[in-house]
Amino acid sequence: MRVVPVLALVAASLCAKPAAAADGASLYKDNCAACHRPTGQGIPGAFPALAGSKFVQGDAKEPIGRVLHGRGGMPSFQDELTDLQIATILSYVRVSWGNKGKPINPTQVTALRGGGKRENAKAVLQAH
Amino acid sequence: MDRGLLAAGLGVSRRSFLEGLGGVGGSSLLLAGMSALGFGIASAQAAPPVLSGGGGKKVAVLGAGVAGLTAAYELSRAGYDVTVIEARDFAGGRCQTARKGFKLTELGGETQVCDFDDGNYINHGPWRIPYHHQSTLHYTKEFNIPLEVFVNDNDASYLMFGRGTGPLAGKPIRKGHVAADIRGGAAEILAKSIKQGALDQQMTAEDREQFLAYVVQEGYLTKDLAYKGTEGRGFDLPPGPLMNPGPGKPSTPNSFTDVLHSGAWRTLASVSSWEQQRTMFQPVGGMDRIAKGFEGAIGQLIKYSTQVKSLKQNPKGVEIAFVDGDGKAGTLKADYCICTIPLSVLRQLDVQVSKPFKEAIGAVSYALVGKIGLQMKRRFWEEDHHIYGGHVYFDDPEINSMTLPSTGFQGRKGVLLGYYNFGAQAAKVSALSPAERRALAGRAGDRVFPGYSDNIDSAFSASWHLIEHNLGGWAQWSDEARASAYPILCEPDGRLYLAGEHMSYMTGWQAGGIESAWQQIAKLHARAHAA
Repeated sequence: MRVVPVLALVAASLCAKPAAAADGASLYKDNCAACHRPTGQGIPGAFPALAGSKFVQGDAKEPIGRVLHGRGGMPSFQDELTDLQIATILSYVRVSWGNKGKPINPTQVTALRGGGKRENAKAVLQAH
Repeated sequence: MDRGLLAAGLGVSRRSFLEGLGGVGGSSLLLAGMSALGFGIASAQAAPPVLSGGGGKKVAVLGAGVAGLTAAYELSRAGYDVTVIEARDFAGGRCQTARKGFKLTELGGETQVCDFDDGNYINHGPWRIPYHHQSTLHYTKEFNIPLEVFVNDNDASYLMFGRGTGPLAGKPIRKGHVAADIRGGAAEILAKSIKQGALDQQMTAEDREQFLAYVVQEGYLTKDLAYKGTEGRGFDLPPGPLMNPGPGKPSTPNSFTDVLHSGAWRTLASVSSWEQQRTMFQPVGGMDRIAKGFEGAIGQLIKYSTQVKSLKQNPKGVEIAFVDGDGKAGTLKADYCICTIPLSVLRQLDVQVSKPFKEAIGAVSYALVGKIGLQMKRRFWEEDHHIYGGHVYFDDPEINSMTLPSTGFQGRKGVLLGYYNFGAQAAKVSALSPAERRALAGRAGDRVFPGYSDNIDSAFSASWHLIEHNLGGWAQWSDEARASAYPILCEPDGRLYLAGEHMSYMTGWQAGGIESAWQQIAKLHARAHAA
């Protein structure tokens, strides 16, 4: 059973945010915020901003594919996150910090999952 | 191996079955033979190219990591006029060692100041030198850097597989136990199958006899072809003096099923891979001794705390714009440039190169990598568990490995590596504050060694993807980028040559940086001489 602290319940009801948004925020914080920063501003010269990004708000296939398969400095999350988690994070990112993209549902992630090659795969026990 | 053939046992003579197996291994056998003769597949180059007559031509080297230092050292010795531009206020690039006073501020993170006791350190960058990296070993010898063995395989160390099933899952078990038991169990099944005629159709009686003899020895089998343990896996009570313990008490093997389902056998092949084989070395006192060796020889050529802003070139030379440590802008003109800046950083700079070259720079990805060094108040892994160096394999990918120090044995304190994570897990862990990372490492350690977290008295962590001037642990070429982009970058673009671990098939190893520098300066030299 998941214990929800009373304060969080109060805060949630005050803000009247759907549960998915709260989950999205916490999933984002855990998995994305190190590079893209808590406010989605990224780190100039290193990691792209998600706030105001056309890529993030545009065709859902693009950001889903990026999270699943990685590219550049971005790792693949296909083994670490479920379709629901990826959809939740991306939906959060697409409507946060002034972004106005459409939410993403898990079936859209499922549809893109098959066949993608993992770019960052590495036998970890054989690292340098 | 063609399993279909083995299963069917048809359409092939007994003799050609074995020859067929040999055929599959043909090329590797050939290579092994070559190594024995000294023509091995170790470092492609074991010594730098012999260059002379540089004639004062100017070379700008961008980056004072081991690749840049190598280029600068060899070119200056050959008579070139070399200037190295380095963003940091010290040389070495990723060849860093954190010891007392070492500072690191990750992008968006708080500043950590290493607070280990004097003499203790963590190599948060490169930490191992395989014996066949003759190029790296060339410079440790050149600069009289004492080496010690890095214990990369330790039978006494633990495997901890929380994701397995059965009674051995989630418990620390000695690597030597797992190795012996899985070997013995597999050999027993194979030997009994042979006895029952499973290979009668495939092998001649003579081959079978030898094969069985091998399997019996390999699996420590008894006369009735059973695996009942081996003294090699240790004793419940080790042999000793007089009558007590006298002969001691042999150990009891784990059941084959339990070992299989624990999943712990998955680690066994890792230390036999080419890059992980014994003998493994480390410099005494820290990996940055290598950087210091170069610095002692050519430190005067390095402009520290100086950041490259742009690179322009024309048919006559290159011009590098930079900002120095005082914030003053300047330019450096040279005949040639060796650029060792990681591609993760170079892709963001204003560099005048052809379009295909520019695109190729952007085609590679960089590894997200995290490490943490934990100074322990007491060397409990030695004192209580008799583990001297080596890795505790831990199948939580936020941890992967807890590596015990290969230095300072039997001392009071020691610094161990608390995690070594990659990719998505490295991203996740790097989002934590240094204190939270320390706590995470401590919680994992407590599952292996009682009292682990209570023993931590200082921590220092690094997330390479969040470190300015690196933005990643090492280059990761996809097969596609290796085929299309990499060859473009191997050739100079105008007067610009790239070197670094990314310009090799030894990515992430210092040898890749050194040997790529050797090849590029040889090319540069040939061209300068021809000009």
